[in-house]
Amino acid sequence: MYAGIDAGSRAIKVVLIGEDGPGVVAQGQVDQGVEQDKIACRLLEEVLAQTGVDRSQVCRIVATGYGRNAVSIADTTITEITCHAVGVRQLVPAAMTVIDIGGQDSKLMRLDTNGRVRDFAMNDRCAAGTGRFLEVVADRLGLSLGDLGPMAARSRNPAVISSMCVVFAETEITGLLAAGRACEDIVAGVQTAIAARIVAMAGRNIEAPVIFTGGVARISGMETALQTALGRPIAPAPEPQMTGALGAALLARRQRGSD
Amino acid sequence: MGKCCDKKDVKINASDPCHPPQPVRSGSPNATSRVWEPGVPVRAYQETPDGVITNGQPLAWFDNMIPNCLAYATDAKAQGKHIVGIMCEYTPRELIMAAEAVPVCLCGGSAEMIGPAEEHLPANLCPLIKSTYGYHVQKANPFLEMADLVVAETTCDGKKKMYELMAETRPMHVLELPQKPDDADALAHWISELRKLKARLEEAFGVTITDEKIRQAIRTMNRERALRRRLADLMKSDHPPLTGRQLLQFKSNISGMCADFAQYTRALESYVGWAVPTNLQGVNSTTNGGHSPPYKARVLMTGVPVVHGAERVVEIIESNGGLIVCMDNCTGLKPILEDVDETAADPIVALAEKYFRLPCSVMTKNSRRLDILRHLAREYRVQCVIDLIWQACLTYDVESYFIKKLAEQELGLPYLRIETDYSPGDSARIALRVEALFETVRQRACA
Repeated sequence: MYAGIDAGSRAIKVVLIGEDGPGVVAQGQVDQGVEQDKIACRLLEEVLAQTGVDRSQVCRIVATGYGRNAVSIADTTITEITCHAVGVRQLVPAAMTVIDIGGQDSKLMRLDTNGRVRDFAMNDRCAAGTGRFLEVVADRLGLSLGDLGPMAARSRNPAVISSMCVVFAETEITGLLAAGRACEDIVAGVQTAIAARIVAMAGRNIEAPVIFTGGVARISGMETALQTALGRPIAPAPEPQMTGALGAALLARRQRGSD
Repeated sequence: MGKCCDKKDVKINASDPCHPPQPVRSGSPNATSRVWEPGVPVRAYQETPDGVITNGQPLAWFDNMIPNCLAYATDAKAQGKHIVGIMCEYTPRELIMAAEAVPVCLCGGSAEMIGPAEEHLPANLCPLIKSTYGYHVQKANPFLEMADLVVAETTCDGKKKMYELMAETRPMHVLELPQKPDDADALAHWISELRKLKARLEEAFGVTITDEKIRQAIRTMNRERALRRRLADLMKSDHPPLTGRQLLQFKSNISGMCADFAQYTRALESYVGWAVPTNLQGVNSTTNGGHSPPYKARVLMTGVPVVHGAERVVEIIESNGGLIVCMDNCTGLKPILEDVDETAADPIVALAEKYFRLPCSVMTKNSRRLDILRHLAREYRVQCVIDLIWQACLTYDVESYFIKKLAEQELGLPYLRIETDYSPGDSARIALRVEALFETVRQRACA
């Protein structure tokens, strides 16, 4: 049995896989917190308990995500860049590009024909173009993250959000609300702005198939916004939030026997 | 060079407790008996509680570089010599030395100086310029406070305009650097700029700069460049005796100090067994790919200079699985790759020719930088290229387009561009990128 733990900025995810085969034995997810080491450990125990697997049967654990170095039960760490690529390739063997939008990061990975990361880009010292942007907007409009997609879908005339910075974008949204713009137009505008940031970061040279991962891929409308901005079809990964943990588990299995 | 040798060696312990590292023969790396860790042999030096270094290790000497330089400059000043601040590798130190003055590098590497600088300078400016200027307004750089003259040059727009602010209160000579390196009249103009600098130094300090004095300074600088080149050569080995961070330490804000030369020589003597035999140079070796951890990816670092105090990114790279075997920037190989002709009939022309060939991104076109990178990538058998850009350094930032193309398309090497400043806020994010880069390198090496 092999485990992958993805300690992301907003959630911790665990995936458990067996000795061979593509199937996932069990998985789980919990919100991130201050004591992430304990949270990750407890989550793994819970996932094991669900399936009746004993901890001693897990022969290797790989941690990934921004909190990877804090996960003390892990045997080793691998960056989420490599893990997402491996996880996506498992689910979509033809994938050539991965776009991952998480709580505080957005990344684009170009893969080679063997599925290895050829090149990647990620956001710098700025949260524009990440899930955090959507959280700020939802909060400002008194909505939950789950409301954003259906709301954006109702927009006929998305607002233009020009601020590069989440903090200034919030100010801009206040201005739009004061000017009487509808919430749906603002939400749709924010989705378009995030997609535009991703395209600016990625450049035009993007090879299909493009697979969308990370928590933000679960928000409906983001996929369409990205598709429009990139000018090519994008498929969200099945369970897009779990691909990093899946990749970590697969890499743990590849490393078997290494120590 | 004369007298300074007699008195400045005092900090070196006469009974040398230095144990030269056991040479690892490049032909037979023995991974099973010994896990190789670059730089291990030179870490063991001790400091007494009052901070005095009691061990004569060369690295310990250079860890003390600023106090060493300060003592040297203070003595020189007391002897009636002049101190000249410089801020770029285009400035020929030889002319200043020939004027019996001491050239001191003033480039700022401190994040703390950036706040004060932003009272006058825009926030969106490179941290090196801001830090250097911050020292100026705070009067916090003792070398700048000692300086009788500052020699600057028209390189990037940010520096050029910053010098105008600095010149309000300090004597300043600005060299006009032509920026089309392949034009014959550009070199002619650069020669005339150096002649003007010579005249300025003679007038300011009441000295006569003879050709013979320039030639003597050229010999000193050539010797320094040769010593530092040989140290850099050690990194060609499959198992370099130093980390890139340690190699970066082997430099001085004041050139031509005899005590430094003695330490460069000692370092070379203690590491010489590590040098890769010439018949193995150019062998594309991924032999250390067979090592169990710690596997180190061989990194070619290019881009902006990494001045004293601003080594954060270098340290991040080397603590996350990389070994910087080669730095082509202005604090690395770029200024020491070529020497000045000691026998030229007109030494100023010889100086102009050498210095004008520096491949800085302010030049257009700067194809010489690409030529050098091609050569270094091969010589040092690098596995990836990391391009460091100080935030708002427009020329290096734009030029990264060509470096990426060269690395990925021509050399077939993974490329990573890091844009940052002196503040540590993005260290974790930079670590993530370099770690991911090295995972790619490892996958390739194992494939």
